Amino acid sequence: MEPFVEQNKIVSPATIDRYFKSGGNREIYLTASEDSFTAIISGLSAKDVTLISLFCVENFEQHKGFTLLYAFEMRGAGNVVILLRHLKGQTATSIARIFPLAVWFEREIRDGFGVDFPDALDKRRLFLHEVYPDDFHPLLKSFKNQPIATQQNIATEKEYKFKEMSGEGVYQIPVGPVHAGIIEPGHFRFSVIGETIFNLEIRMFYKHRGIEKLAEGKTPEQCVPIAEAISGDETVANATAFCMAVEKISETAVPARAWKLRMILLEMERIYSHMGDMAGMVLDTAFPTGASKFFILREEILRQNKTLTGSRFMKGIIRVGGLDRDIPEHTLKEFSNYLEQFSPRCREAIDMVYKVSSVVDRLETTGIIRKELVKPLNITGPAARAAGVPIDTRLDHPYGLYASVTVRTATGSDVMSRFNVKATEIKDSIELCLNLISGIESGEVSAPIQIKDGYALSLVESARGQNLHWVYIRNGIIDRYKVCTASFCNWQAIEHAVQGNIVPDFPLINKSLNLSYAGTDL
Amino acid sequence: MMNRVYRRLRHGIVTEKVAFKDEEFENLGLKLQTEISSLFGRSLAIRELDSGSDNAAEIELNNLNAPHYDIERFGISFVASPRHADVLIVTGAVTHNMEIAARKTYDAMPHPKFVVAVGDNACNGGIFQGTYAVNGGADRVLPVDLKIPGNPPSPIEIMKGLLHLMAAIRHKSTGA
Repeated sequence: MEPFVEQNKIVSPATIDRYFKSGGNREIYLTASEDSFTAIISGLSAKDVTLISLFCVENFEQHKGFTLLYAFEMRGAGNVVILLRHLKGQTATSIARIFPLAVWFEREIRDGFGVDFPDALDKRRLFLHEVYPDDFHPLLKSFKNQPIATQQNIATEKEYKFKEMSGEGVYQIPVGPVHAGIIEPGHFRFSVIGETIFNLEIRMFYKHRGIEKLAEGKTPEQCVPIAEAISGDETVANATAFCMAVEKISETAVPARAWKLRMILLEMERIYSHMGDMAGMVLDTAFPTGASKFFILREEILRQNKTLTGSRFMKGIIRVGGLDRDIPEHTLKEFSNYLEQFSPRCREAIDMVYKVSSVVDRLETTGIIRKELVKPLNITGPAARAAGVPIDTRLDHPYGLYASVTVRTATGSDVMSRFNVKATEIKDSIELCLNLISGIESGEVSAPIQIKDGYALSLVESARGQNLHWVYIRNGIIDRYKVCTASFCNWQAIEHAVQGNIVPDFPLINKSLNLSYAGTDL
Repeated sequence: MMNRVYRRLRHGIVTEKVAFKDEEFENLGLKLQTEISSLFGRSLAIRELDSGSDNAAEIELNNLNAPHYDIERFGISFVASPRHADVLIVTGAVTHNMEIAARKTYDAMPHPKFVVAVGDNACNGGIFQGTYAVNGGADRVLPVDLKIPGNPPSPIEIMKGLLHLMAAIRHKSTGA
């Protein structure tokens, strides 16, 4: 593996540019001194740079105390630049005025570590709701993971304050956390004029299960089921991303057969996930006949998953170093035959939707996510591609054996565009699977691995977009595990997408993105 | 109106024959239907509560409504409000952030009411047992009548679980 040549150099505002463009699809860690930090950040904002994550690590390498890691990506250049900001105390200046996405990240850091951002735009808690005691910061090393006492009677003044919209005829609709359908919990606070949505504020983290803390102190092998539990329908994407980071740290090469099988499973996950989204979109326009076709196909895919891996959600097959077990040749052959006949039926189901004007009417011009929002909000996946932005982690930061993937974009930025993008991507994923199976070699599916200490970032394109994992191993065990799935950033896109739409179209817009609550709340 | 009747007589039933039929599932469904008929006056209303699952259990519960399973034909429906529910299905270890909502949902249900924990995490906290963010299994917060383990349990396993629930209710009501 190529060494990180510029590792941990102190960087100046003038020299940071070249690190993005030096090539090689690497992650480059640079230290920013507190004096030049603001200048570097403002310099970056003027360029085509996206903040993709911001997180905190306590006692990182030689630094005692807190280190903030700011991960930036320049679209079109393969490298990810991670700025290290070593804090002297427990406070830091906010960057939310320059990178608006930082608002959630900074709130997350404050909850987790107690690091204060005195000039933050929003000082409300994020993942620790009001039931948690004050001054409780679970990600501090001094806190040993154990049950804690919480407050179950919340005084009115301690209740979460939603942003209030006022004016003649403006009223609020509170929805959730428990919703009417079989869906995950979250709270949506609509401010509405008549039937039109004036503002939406989303409150998440009802499902906060403490994934990141749970991983600490575990061996990498023990941590794979934790990665799988981040979001059930992103099992393969997250397990692969976690394993990739560990394999990078330990400088282990995964055998080609294992990578090809991983890729087949990754694409299967994309197929069944997109299938479910499309069924949902069609169902929410009150066209169950059309939705049933997708539901039937998705159930078949879940059964194929079971045949291939023993689990309908492909749990327990990905492991550090490759796969837990091989998939026999004849199973792959049968699967390939199945996909051949799946393809035209899938096409038929999609065509049926296009023929029904009452469905198309509802999907078109609904829930527009403007292209201009994609960069500042780090919107990724089909949501970004449907807004005409050609980004895909499989191409931008190639991993495994991904070399040629066609990026499907649309220009409408609406629900219809997202439907189209997903429909085309299913077709592409089927082709990819067929090609992978026809070209697969026999051989080992797992490489022996000697766990080393170190840290690494990995990026994987899940069905919803770019999932980011950062793993820090010390003395052979996980010291810090940071996860930021595509849903975390994409939720904020929904707040923008619904404005000006009518309340009954909200479920449709929500389904067109079908974000993971579990994957956001961790 | 009469036109439609004539058309129907002329063409017969036009819906396609389904290519799938799972004998085991059909038998389970019919047994369940018999039980529901006698115990719940022909229909069983279920409210689903996700209190911290990884969302796979929700997908499987949704699948019960999809064409392969279509459990409405056996008299089971998933309802939008706890006020209409006989059974509360809980998925996931109950997180602290969901605890208040979980209790309120249960309290809103009319009597008699039953709670079923679906999935390993709802049964006993699963991998989150003993951590800061969760209470543990659903039984830490609500009176659980039945546990259906699995990561997640498949639709057929959930059906089997519901049949066990019927047996338990029958046992309780007859005192046998």
